[in-house]
Amino acid sequence: MLSDILSPDVFAAAMRIATPLALAAIGGTICERAGVVNIALEGMMLFGAFVGVIAVTYAGNPWVGVFAAAAAGASLALMHAFASVTLKTDQVVSGTAINILAGGLTGFFMEVIIGHPGTTDPVPRLVPVFDFPVPSAGFFAPMWRWIDVIFLSHTPIVYGTILFAIVAHWALFHTRWGLRLRALGEHPRAADTVGISVVRGRYSAVLFSGVLAGLAGANLTLEQVGSFTEGMTNGRGFIALAANIFGRWTPGGSYGAALLFGFAEALQTKLQLLRDVITIPSQFFLMLPYVLTVVVLAGVVGRAVAPAAVGKPYEKG
Amino acid sequence: MERAGKASVTHRLYGLLEQIAPPLVSVVIALAISSLIIWVVGYDPVRAFSALFDGAFGGPRQIGETMLRSTPLIFTGLAVAYGFRAGLFNIGAEGQLFMGGLVAAWLGVALAGLPTMVIVPIILVAGAAAGMAWAFIPALLKARVGAHEVITTMMFTFIARYIVSWLVTGPLKAPGQIPQTVQLPAESMLPKFTDILPELGTGRAHLGFVVGIALAVVVWWVLKHTTLGYEARAVGFNPWASETGGISVSLTTVKSLCLSGALAATAGVTEVIGLHGRLFDQFSAGFGFTGIAVALLARNNPLAVIMTAMLFGALSAGSGTMQLQADVPSKVVFIIQGLVVFLVAAQQLAVWLLRPFKARGGVENA
Repeated sequence: MLSDILSPDVFAAAMRIATPLALAAIGGTICERAGVVNIALEGMMLFGAFVGVIAVTYAGNPWVGVFAAAAAGASLALMHAFASVTLKTDQVVSGTAINILAGGLTGFFMEVIIGHPGTTDPVPRLVPVFDFPVPSAGFFAPMWRWIDVIFLSHTPIVYGTILFAIVAHWALFHTRWGLRLRALGEHPRAADTVGISVVRGRYSAVLFSGVLAGLAGANLTLEQVGSFTEGMTNGRGFIALAANIFGRWTPGGSYGAALLFGFAEALQTKLQLLRDVITIPSQFFLMLPYVLTVVVLAGVVGRAVAPAAVGKPYEKG
Repeated sequence: MERAGKASVTHRLYGLLEQIAPPLVSVVIALAISSLIIWVVGYDPVRAFSALFDGAFGGPRQIGETMLRSTPLIFTGLAVAYGFRAGLFNIGAEGQLFMGGLVAAWLGVALAGLPTMVIVPIILVAGAAAGMAWAFIPALLKARVGAHEVITTMMFTFIARYIVSWLVTGPLKAPGQIPQTVQLPAESMLPKFTDILPELGTGRAHLGFVVGIALAVVVWWVLKHTTLGYEARAVGFNPWASETGGISVSLTTVKSLCLSGALAATAGVTEVIGLHGRLFDQFSAGFGFTGIAVALLARNNPLAVIMTAMLFGALSAGSGTMQLQADVPSKVVFIIQGLVVFLVAAQQLAVWLLRPFKARGGVENA
């Protein structure tokens, strides 16, 4: 039974499920490292997921959808950057406004463009990158099958996210860009004094997080599901924020935390299939990621330290 | 003496105007932008909004519908406003609302047989207590380890939804195909206005609306005239100074978020015992989230919450008519909501837009 549950497809599913969480979480990391809280990751992800599907509906090519989703995320991010950097608005409230707006825009344009509420028609999805022939017999066949399922079965954004997490982690701690970004969130005045533009730096960080959240949405619709459903992000933007905290505001840590959530969710899905053996209502499995998020926050927050200037507008003076 | 009195009246009027002008302008701009969106996608905004107005205020039944839709928003608006006053963002009012609804659906049946005058107050208090309990863990986590209430209360909203979904499909499911609880007996229900005076013709509007207004006055009084409210405001204004001044910030945080949860839960209670008479998955149309817009537009003033709740209640009541008569998807209401929250928060927008003119006048160069 244990081998049923811990089969290779659970690990593969964990990586798939972790991808949108990781993208949004790293977006949150970059944004908060620059000193801006981004509660709107949820809305940007939702908007990206929707715009991606609409673009593919018209263009036919899923890659067009991926770019459209990134642009959609960035457009809402521009709003957030304008409000929180230029207008010095309360960042949490601005993010909430964008979340409500994203729900409204997707619902409204769904009915205008598709003609009905609920779920869109399926669109062509991005296909897995690799397609190796798997030997059916031989000494190494079972091991090869494991490797194939866990590591070689994925779609482009899944691999892109891993690669990106590594690069972003390195860049944040070993490049001038990373040092400057961190300075914006720890001590913007010092950064300003040495000639780093706080406004430009924070704008680009927020926009970048919007692109990542949009790509997270594209992963949901154009790689995983193949269609858009209203409200389909289901709190993933908020779970991503928790993953960012759990990962201690580092891209690598964010990816690791997202993988943990992904594994919990994959396990949950698998356990539901065994409902004849384990008679626990499905809702208890479904609430698991949310419970896990609270537990993780409860356990880790006191010991993790946020960037010092996060959430505070910078007053030049 | 008299002149001083007059001056202070003008002064106070001016102060009031200063208070209500920015939110009013925000609403007007939000309506203008959504009209533009409606127009761009090919509908007639004038027809749309006149249909909306008709659906919200066109007659006693429509006004009743506006009151009905405003009722839960008064409670969630008060909940979010009270939280904001204490420096807390209760984004999870929706979850506390679900817990209130759950307790109402359960007690409404469990206490059947008692007279309405006894049963309804018990349900209201018990439902509020359930919301309080649901806010307690996030409150404790905020006070003890500093876990941000925006994430925790949001997570608790999802958990609450799944608990309700489980109960209405399992243990509390009424016989039949539809996942819902059994219909509450009439004596467990809040009376409708038309039960008392049939001539009113206000349709489905119920006494929950009056409870909401009463509670708004109570919350206003608590904030202004009690130690509890003073401490909440002090902590919201400056936690460090409050701590130095002898107020326990963690205790005030827990109390305030729990009280906010109690207010939010009342929305769930009145939806169940005032309108639906039972509990099901989708019994709340996101009232907890709309409560954020209601509170912000009211600038967290409990008495102003009544007005802003009625505004969003009217939008909601009219949006159905708008969809029927002008074909415009009713979801446009959420675009308006998002824009209102954004514009109210971005008060500096006007200053920013007027900046070039000021600079030319030499004000900033001086």
